[in-house]
Formats: sequence, structure tokens, C-alpha cells
Amino acid sequence: MHRLPIMEFFPKAMDKKPKVTLFIQCLVDAVWPQVAEAMVRVLQKLGLSLECPTDQTCCGQPAYNSGYRREACIAAKRFIEIFEGSEIIVSPSGSCVHMVRHHYPELFCDNPAWRQRAQRIAARIYEFTEFLVDVLGVEDVGAHFNGRITYHDSCQLLRGIGVKDQPRRLLRHVAGAEFVEMKNSDYCCGFGGSFAVKYPDISAAMVNDKVDHIIHSGARAVIGCDTGCLLNIAGAVSRRSLSIQTLHIAQLLAKDYL
Amino acid sequence: MPDISPETYVKVAKKGIANPVLQKALAGLQDRFGRGTAEAYRRLPEGPELRFKAHDIREKAIAHLDALLEILAAKIRANGGVVYFAQTAKEAVNYCITVARQNNVHRVVKGKSMVTEEIGLNPALQAAGIEPVETDLGEYIIQLAGEKPSHIIAPAVHKNRHDIADLFVKKTGIRRTTDPSELTQAARKALREKFLSADMGTSGVNIACAETGHITTVSNEGNIRMATTLPRIHIAFMGMERIVARLDEYEILLRLLCRGAAAQTMATYVSYISGPRRPGESDGPDEFHLVILDNGRSRILADPQFKEILYCIRCAACLNVCPVYGKIGGHAYGFAYSGPVGAVVTPLLTGINRAKDLCLGETLCGACMDACPVAIDLPRLLLALREKLAYGDENWQVKPASRMEGLAYKAWSYLIGHRYIYERFLKMAGVGQKLFPRSGTMIRRLPPPLAGWTQSRNFQPLAKETFIEGWRNKKAISNTP
Amino acid sequence: MSTPDQEYFLRRIRRALNSKPDFSHHGSPLFAHAPSPEELQILDNHRRRTAADRNALLSQLMEAALPIHLCVIPVPDLIAAATAIATLAEAKKPEWSAVKNIIVWRHPLIDLMELKAPLNRLKIPLHRTEPMDPAADPTQDRIEREHLRSAVTASYIGVTSADLCMADTATLVLRNRPGQPRSVALVPSIHIAVITLDQIISDMKELFALLRWDDRFRSEGLSNYMAFISGPSKTADIEATMVHGAHGPREVYLYVVSGK
Ligand code: SF4
Repeated sequence: MHRLPIMEFFPKAMDKKPKVTLFIQCLVDAVWPQVAEAMVRVLQKLGLSLECPTDQTCCGQPAYNSGYRREACIAAKRFIEIFEGSEIIVSPSGSCVHMVRHHYPELFCDNPAWRQRAQRIAARIYEFTEFLVDVLGVEDVGAHFNGRITYHDSCQLLRGIGVKDQPRRLLRHVAGAEFVEMKNSDYCCGFGGSFAVKYPDISAAMVNDKVDHIIHSGARAVIGCDTGCLLNIAGAVSRRSLSIQTLHIAQLLAKDYL
Repeated sequence: MPDISPETYVKVAKKGIANPVLQKALAGLQDRFGRGTAEAYRRLPEGPELRFKAHDIREKAIAHLDALLEILAAKIRANGGVVYFAQTAKEAVNYCITVARQNNVHRVVKGKSMVTEEIGLNPALQAAGIEPVETDLGEYIIQLAGEKPSHIIAPAVHKNRHDIADLFVKKTGIRRTTDPSELTQAARKALREKFLSADMGTSGVNIACAETGHITTVSNEGNIRMATTLPRIHIAFMGMERIVARLDEYEILLRLLCRGAAAQTMATYVSYISGPRRPGESDGPDEFHLVILDNGRSRILADPQFKEILYCIRCAACLNVCPVYGKIGGHAYGFAYSGPVGAVVTPLLTGINRAKDLCLGETLCGACMDACPVAIDLPRLLLALREKLAYGDENWQVKPASRMEGLAYKAWSYLIGHRYIYERFLKMAGVGQKLFPRSGTMIRRLPPPLAGWTQSRNFQPLAKETFIEGWRNKKAISNTP
Repeated sequence: MSTPDQEYFLRRIRRALNSKPDFSHHGSPLFAHAPSPEELQILDNHRRRTAADRNALLSQLMEAALPIHLCVIPVPDLIAAATAIATLAEAKKPEWSAVKNIIVWRHPLIDLMELKAPLNRLKIPLHRTEPMDPAADPTQDRIEREHLRSAVTASYIGVTSADLCMADTATLVLRNRPGQPRSVALVPSIHIAVITLDQIISDMKELFALLRWDDRFRSEGLSNYMAFISGPSKTADIEATMVHGAHGPREVYLYVVSGK
């Protein structure tokens, strides 16, 4: 399957700022709402008006990744119905955007009507950093941080929707922060949804490698754009009683950290 | 017959993770080849995009597989070769043994080939009283140790120089040395004897070309050239999918194969073979046999969801970037093929239910797809396998892997369809989580089915209030006059 | 000429593909009957190659040869090549026995080198491969081939030419013919190849364009055995340490006669 190009692309430096609809990944919503709050603050600071449908739940990724296509379809239809009227959708999670942008159209491959609706939505959803850098043309949001930071590339974000540079650009503009690359930043952290629970030994080996690389980089904080990975890394960091902070990029940009 | 054990995935994976020698070797392998291959693709004049062209070439070849194989067979026969079409592993093995018996063969030198591993040629030859000798250095080491290859291209990656030194002392009686070059020399010497005295040589086929009627073999050591030049008989084993139509298409695939397999621009030896020695020629085998193998492939071909895996050219590039393979090594996969390609091929060839851990035991990170020289969408294939396991499938005789899980996802789909109930559920869970031991704010231990998470990680508890609740409440406040 | 196993096998494939025998793909033929525009361009470049182009290819070849441990040595003429080979033969020790033997192809270029004289002075016996009589009786045939086999295994150096050499990967292309057995480039510990400057081509694309469409190469096609050789045999199977001389030659030398 070839990947879909982003079909509608908002030009940089728009005259009229679009109305942004938030899609909040279920993990963020339930476990780490600070991430969404931080994102809201950054977007509001940029003068955007926001709305957030309050009946949203999950994009269907957990079911999809476990092979439960039918259940994922149910989630997808619901998502489409809720977000269809939105001008532009922004989400603090690369994997959800990948799901909506690439898997939704494919889920409805033999249902032309739904497929069309899915494609329309697919063209309008952006991951947070992608939205800032590619759509708004913003790389400096006036954030600052004291100390060394490093970045973990989440798999779906990097390989699914090709977001690699955008977060790095934002991080390089954080005043006072020294951005360093860790080894194998593009290696999977071992989260993989239910994989982490079903194959704990393999998953643990992977996340411990990840944490070792973070330690090696000498960073005070590791930054990511997908909460699944961050919960995994934070869980391992905490189990190993390390003092490294695990932050979603929105938290860093909103100066929402200790 | 081949030894197939995908059921032990988790058990063997654990062993691999606990083995420091393996861990070091795998990390080294991935640093070198994983990164090297990406760099080699970037340096292609056409760039990494060439992989998509290769994908199309393979798609076309597979769509015309019948015609291409027919042409290949006709050309090889016209050149004096013998072509045998084997439906099953057993047929392929029996054919080889029959040819060996007819020619009074006592010793077979083998060029590296995963297909012969797949069909279990070595044990079958041994049972027939014929000595198979692996000649690829890595395979030779594995054979001496009585083990299985753990990587498609670097079969002995799990052994370090000390293991190999001990093995050589014990099995070949050389003076102990841990110098790789001296160890290689010892194997070179031992195997030269075997090459010169063998009656039959076997090889695999990397890619065949219908237009010219050739099979090709690719190696760096030269063992395949030896095995296909010196003995009287050469038998090549080919998975039926390993063919392209034209030479210009072959050119693209060969360039990508060398880059994918070893980050090289060209392997040391590439041989194009279309038949036995011709009259007037003074070397080369008297007989050339090509065994074309189905062994479950036509069933994959018949399923549009899975046929893409037949585009695979077994370069092992996907192993070299896979974060799961990088931790567990090749033995966990329990069959000739390991890593991402093994995770897809093994269930399809040996049974999806019995290899269910291979289908489920990856994170779908997608690194394999970017490394694959023919851009196979391995994550999609894994998802398709998972779908079979989720709902069962008559065609593939798959039973649903877990009824409980099926029910859980049904319940989940109801829950996420109703925000109000969903929130109530979260609230309940929020109360429930208070029962579990904590370290600081994090939960230290969870019960099954979530116990796996807390085995080596802490768990961030649910927030008191979801973001959406907060948003709704703020809205409500700002809306009250 | 089809066999029952083949019939059955292909029928299953056809059933899986849900198709009849067919030689076209999306309307375009599976096979080409004329060179593509790209290939025409390549063939044209090949024909128009100037002396300067050839020297540029030689430089490219030498650069590509370096990392793969192939020694490329340009020589002005065949006499110089013969002298260099004799010097090499004197310096190198045989790997498998105490005595030195050298085996060379029967090939116009190598015949012209007249290696016999300098090797005679070094008292190194020279064996030359000869084409066999295709009509010879099997016993005679076997004896001759066994003779070749023992000469090849006794030799520490094998001298061949090549059909072509691809500059971008430093790859020699050898096609099998009577009198030019492949084992000479394989079994001895040192492989020496001698070619002329005009045998260097750019890359695999050019090679295949020539093999497909140029009459000089097309008639013979790929032969029943064509080999690409890029430097000495190597392995990295023990702790990923690169070692040269796994099974094939440990050293490979390429003399390019530039005619200057
Ligand atoms: S799936 Fe792709 S990368 Fe993996 S072995 Fe096959 S061709 Fe190579």
C-alpha cells in the first residue's frame, strides 16, 4: 500500500487563522491530561481559537493493531461522524494521526461512501508539531528549559507520517536547552500497545535499551510526541529510580514541567 | 524433516535476551548493517525510491509467475539442464536423494541456502547415508555445533570467537586460536578437501531471470562458486517466487539485494547459471538440476492479502533493523526464516495458530518496511495475520486465538461508543487503582492481564479527571453568566 | 517439453492467480523486443567512448577497487604485464604445497604475453588450459578434465582475462567458454586477470544493454555460466571481522593494458 499524500495542505503564513479542533488521544485524556492542557496553552498563545468535541473517545488504534478490524471500524465511523465538520484537526499523538490519515481510508477499502468520508478527514488531521512547523510555519514558541534534552522518535510518527525534523526544529529553538541526539533515537521503545503487556520480557529489553541510550546522552529530560511511548519510558525510568524527566513536547513548549 | 518450533517463541526469546554474547553481537550487527543499508540506499543514483520500482517489478513477476517459470524451465532444459517442480518439501528432498543415489553420491557440499533449511535437506541426506557439508563459514560453524542458523545472512552471529575456537579444537583438532583470520584459514583448509572430494554440490537461488534463462547465486566467500563448479552434479533449489522477467529488472533487484543484505554495492561473486558444462568445456558440473519449490507458496499466492510476501528476496535487511529481532535473535522464530520476514512467512507456511506468537510478538514499528529493498509492507502483513487470529479464518484453518480477548474488544467498542458510560468506567477504574501498591505516584504492581506492564516498569495511574471532563467543566463555567 | 510435475505445478499457480497463460502486463509486454530509450542512450555512449572517457573509467575503477582490496595495475603493454606477473610470482608463496605452479587460460591476450619465458627463468612450470574436443570419447574427455583439475589445484596462481570490467563496482565479468575454465579464477590462491583498457565499461546497466542488444555480445549471450568477480573472496562470519580468502582467491590483481 502506498502512503497517501497530505491532500489538502494549508499554506504557511495564512491570512486567516483556521479554527482548530482538538483530538485528544485516549491515553492523554485519561492518564496524562497535562499533555493536552499544555498543547492548548501553546495553541492559544499562537492566537488560535480551539474547540474540542466532548463526546470523542478513541480512534480505534488498539483494536486495529490487534487485528480487530471490525471493532476498529466502529471506532473509525464514530470518529468520522464527530470530526467531519471540522476545518482542521490537531492531535498530540503521531500514532493516532497515522491511524486516521492512513488506516481509516484503508479500513473502508470496500465501502466507497465511507472511504470518501475517511479520506476527507485524513486530509485534515495534523500532529501537533507537524501543525506548528508545516502549517503555521512556527518553530519558536518562546519556550525555555535549563539543561540538556534529547528526543525519542516514535515509530508511527516517524515512519507512519514522516515527522522527523519538525519536533527537532522546535526543540532547537527552546532557549537554554542543549539538544543532543541519543543513539538509536529511531528505535522502537517497546511499547507497541498490548505488546508491552503480552510480551513483557521482550518489551522490557527494548525499553531498557532505550533508557540506557537516554542515560548515555546525558540528557536531563527526554522529549517525545506520543504518549504511549512516553508512558513506557517513564515507567521504566521510574522503576529504575532515575531522575530523568519524560516530557511530551507540548509540556516542554508550554513550560509545563518541574 | 525440518524442525519447526514457532510455539517456543517466548521461551527462546527470553533465553536470547539473557545471553550477553548474543546481545552484543546483535547490537553490533544492527549498528553496522542496519545503518549501512540505509546509507547505501541513500547513495543509489535513483535514491531509496528505487525500492518502490523494485516492488512493482516483483509484483509484475508474481502476477506472471506461471509464464515466467515455464520460460525459465524451457530455457534451462534447452541448455541441457533438468528442471523438477516440487510441490512439497518432501518431493524436493526425495528428488535430491534420488539423483544422489543414481550417481552414487557420498558427499554433498552445500552453498548457503535458506530453502534447503526450509525443506530440511540436511537431516534427510544424513538419514539416507549421504554426508551434507555446509560450506558457508557461518553455516559450517553452525553445522559443527549441531545448531540452527540464527540469521539469514550471518547464521553464526550468536557465537563469539571463543565459542568458535573451542568448537574447532573439539571438532577439527586444530591448535587453539581465537584469531578470526586463523580460524577462517582452518575452515578454508578443511572445506577445500570437501569441495575437491564431493560428488554433488547444492545451492539456493537468489534471483532467476526468465528472459535469459538463468538462475543466479550471490556470495562473498566463493563457497557457492566452488560448490557449483567442482562437483559432478549441481542441484539448485529455488523457491518458486524468486524470478523476474527481464535482465534490466534483474539489474535493479541485484543492486538492491547487495545493499539490503550487506550494505555492499556488489557482492564479491555473482554467478549466472543456465545449465551444465557444455561440450568442449573442461570444468563445471556434468549435470545441472533445478528444483523449483512450492511448499505452501501457491496458497499464499492465492490470497491477495498475503501474496506481497512472495516479493521477498530474502536479503535479511529487515532483520538488521528490527528492534525485536535485535533483542531476541533468530532462534526464537523457530524456523528457517527469522525476523520480520520470518514472522510473516513462518505462520503462512507452517500454520497461523501454531505460530501465533510470531504474528503478535512485534510492535509494528515499521522499520522493516523502510529497510526492505522491495518495500514490502510487513506491518500490513502482520496486521492481516492478526486479523485472522482475531476472528478465525476458514481458508487458512485458523481458530480465533482468544475468545476472551474477542469479547473484551467487543465490550471496548461499545464503551468507546458512549462517552458517558466510558467516563463512568474510567471513574470506576480510577477508584479500583487505589488498591495497588505504589512507588511515589506511580503504580508498582498490577494484576493480570496488565501484570506484564509492571513486571519491569511502573504504571502511570489514571488522572483524577480526564481532559475532556476538564474542558467540559471549564466551558460550563465560562458559559454561566 | 513439459513434464507432469510441471503441468500440475503451473496449474496450481494459474488457479491461484486466477489467470490463463499470458505474456503481457497491464497492456505492456512482459519482455522487450527492442532497446528502451535509456538503453539506446547507453549503447550510444558506449560506441562514442573516447580515449579520455576510457581513462576516466579506469580512474573510477581504481577508486572502486580500493575498498574491496582488488589491486588494479595499469600497464603500458603486455610485456610489462608479463614482467609484473613474473615479479609477483617470485614474491608470493604457494598456499597449499611447497612447489610453485601457475595455470593460465588459453586466450589471445594471455598467449601474446608470453609468460613462459620469464617464468622459465624462475623455474615455475606454466600450465595452459586447452579447449577440449567436443567429439572426444568420454574416457578421453574424463582424462583431460582430470588433468585440468589437478593442474588447477596444484597452482597457486591462476591467470585469466575477462570479457568486461564494470568500473563503478570494480567487477570483472567472465563468461564460460571452451579453453577458459572458470576454476582458474577460483581455485588458486591468487587470481590475476589481464584486460585491455577498452574492456572497461561503466556499470551493470551498460553490461546488460550490451548483452541484450549489441551483436558482438548478444550472440554468446550470458553463456551457460557467467561470473561477476569483485575482488578477493571474503567473509565476516566470525565476530564480523573481515577476513580475505574464505574459499576463493585471497588476492586478486587486475592488469589493465592501456596501450600507451
Ligand atoms: S522482507 Fe524485504 S527486507 Fe526482509 S528479507 Fe524479504 S526482501 Fe529482505
